[in-house]
Amino acid sequence: MQILIILLQIAALLAIVLLHVAYTTYFERKIIGHMQVRMGPMLVGWHGLLQPIADGIKSFFKEDIIPEQADKPLFLAAPIICLVTMLASLAVLPFARGWVLADINIGLLFLFAMSSLASYGIILAGWASNSKYTFLGGMRSMAQVISYEIPMGLSLVGVMMLSGSLNLTEIVTAQGTSIFSIYLFPQIIGFFVFFIAMLAETNRVPFDLPEAETELVSGYLTEYSGMRYAMFFMAEYIGMMVMASIGTVCFLGGWNGPFEIPFFPPFWFILKVYGFLFLFIWIRATLPRYRYDQLMELGWKLLIPLALLNIFLTGLFKVFT
Amino acid sequence: MKVQYKPKRNLLGTIFQVEILQGMALTLRKLFSPPITRQYPDEKPPMYAGFRGQHALVRDPVTQDSKCIGCMRCVTVCPSRCIRIRCQQDAKGKQKVESYSIEVLRCVFCGFCVEVCPVGAVTMTELFEYASYDRESLLFDKETLLKNWDRFLEESAHDENYVNPFWRPRGVPEASLAASQRMKVPADWTIEGQFIGTSLRQPQQNGAITHTEADHA
Amino acid sequence: MLNQLAFLYCASVIIGTALLAVRFKNPVYSVLSVLVLFFHMAGLYLLLNAEFLAAIQIIVYAGAVLVLYLFVLFLVSLREEVKIERFIKSHRLATAVSIGLGLSLLMIIPSFKLGAKGEYPVERITELTHTKAMGFELYSTYLLPFEVAGLILLIAVIGGLVLARKEEEIK
Repeated sequence: MQILIILLQIAALLAIVLLHVAYTTYFERKIIGHMQVRMGPMLVGWHGLLQPIADGIKSFFKEDIIPEQADKPLFLAAPIICLVTMLASLAVLPFARGWVLADINIGLLFLFAMSSLASYGIILAGWASNSKYTFLGGMRSMAQVISYEIPMGLSLVGVMMLSGSLNLTEIVTAQGTSIFSIYLFPQIIGFFVFFIAMLAETNRVPFDLPEAETELVSGYLTEYSGMRYAMFFMAEYIGMMVMASIGTVCFLGGWNGPFEIPFFPPFWFILKVYGFLFLFIWIRATLPRYRYDQLMELGWKLLIPLALLNIFLTGLFKVFT
Repeated sequence: MKVQYKPKRNLLGTIFQVEILQGMALTLRKLFSPPITRQYPDEKPPMYAGFRGQHALVRDPVTQDSKCIGCMRCVTVCPSRCIRIRCQQDAKGKQKVESYSIEVLRCVFCGFCVEVCPVGAVTMTELFEYASYDRESLLFDKETLLKNWDRFLEESAHDENYVNPFWRPRGVPEASLAASQRMKVPADWTIEGQFIGTSLRQPQQNGAITHTEADHA
Repeated sequence: MLNQLAFLYCASVIIGTALLAVRFKNPVYSVLSVLVLFFHMAGLYLLLNAEFLAAIQIIVYAGAVLVLYLFVLFLVSLREEVKIERFIKSHRLATAVSIGLGLSLLMIIPSFKLGAKGEYPVERITELTHTKAMGFELYSTYLLPFEVAGLILLIAVIGGLVLARKEEEIK
């Protein structure tokens, strides 16, 4: 009986998240369009509202092309690895008090583990496709993920030190005592580092080198088509949402808000995640892409020292209070 | 040329990355400005005078036929040689146009044929939606060209006196223009206004070359 | 019962993937079977209530070390297999040595004593959470070995930097 309830919860979460993925793409196109004084999708449905559904149906019925020279088992497995790891990390996110599928003690570490595993999907896609564009995209993604995982982990160490826990629910609860009941102000350096590392981890502009379309066609997913392409796409957007949720939980106080919303406790959480997603899209509409050496320089020479400084300052803060 | 250097930033500007914030502010402002997109098939673009669209032969309201007299001026002037005319003299010795065809795929849309036509028989209409899937349908013969004219009258607000004042030969006195091109000129139309680069020519006409020298100094 | 089944599954997969890692002709497949092996190692840690170690196993070994291996594999061209002369030339001798090693391993097994010992039985760890228990132990009882290990790693990092740095030409 309990298993049945959990399965139902999983199905509901999956449906909601996939719907969000679809409409994030819609709003991304719409917002970027309006920022570039265009209109975005207008034809399918009222103001193009049915566009993501049409896209989904289209990619579902498209031919699944596997290149002749590709390494078939890995080529087929890569998008599944990407999507599964991203979906798995949804399980530990606390949307509100008690609204979490698996309230495990090492929630934050689990999220790290899953996000670092997702890079396998990209690397293997790049290698298995047996094409130079995908290979270069895979290599770039590999280097990028390795370099940005470090500042990301270090930037969250400050949060772990302040809250004294790795459990996401407890991190949110622990923030109740700080200013505005969020960790943004004691951890402003950590948040800065986390935010940049988050953009790089999700391969978003300005760090979208793995799929830099002006140089690499479409990077690691050049050879993919149809449903498998859509799976990569979904993984990328779920990754965005997971990262936004980590930011919300660790720095913006999770479901805490100025006042309680009756009947719908995750209201503030969802609002903050939407804010993050808007920021992602806004940055994509504004900034150009980083050069590869600039990306590495930023990660190793600026973000990691800053994150270490943040840990040091947080330690001092803990000692003197 | 003056080299544009980056403006100097102070420390605060470096920490907060002011340029990035300025760029973000710009895109945010543009988010709320009205889009300039024209939803094309529903919303047609405005046509300006002088547009060189689909070719047509003007249908004479009296004879219901083309006004063309077969003078071959358009054939001669056409730089891409896409016009073909065949004429025949009838029993009375009067010239009669047997066939008139324009190969649109070779046309460069210079509009010279319209300029030189002494009777205003060939025109370029304001229609631009005539794409086709085969080459044959883009070789306009006389019948098609006349039908193009009918379609143009039907779909636009113009009447059969449609004359585009921008297609008059440059620098030709008003009196020596063809009768068809003398009609319907807007009040502000001048011959001088038709010269391209008017500002360059005027000093020469006045004999004041010093004017350009003063500009250089 | 369920725990034992899970252990059997993890252990057999670990052995199987370890063998596969050696047997695969394609080095990328070898690395991937090691990836599966690391997953099941993490599973074993979870069975032992060591969730922190399990997460670190995946983050560090699967997420970073193996990715670096793949990086090196991709950068090095491995078109033809490297043939190195065998350490022990006789096939029979090699078999005998490995069987002997395996047997001696098996003979050690009875000397393991199972059961809760020391300050941290299972109940205490679940109450304290594994992360905290391990942190306390590392930073109090085993502080000196921990720091020594850190120092050795630091030396390795500096050594890597020295090796990677190009000698500047003397003008």
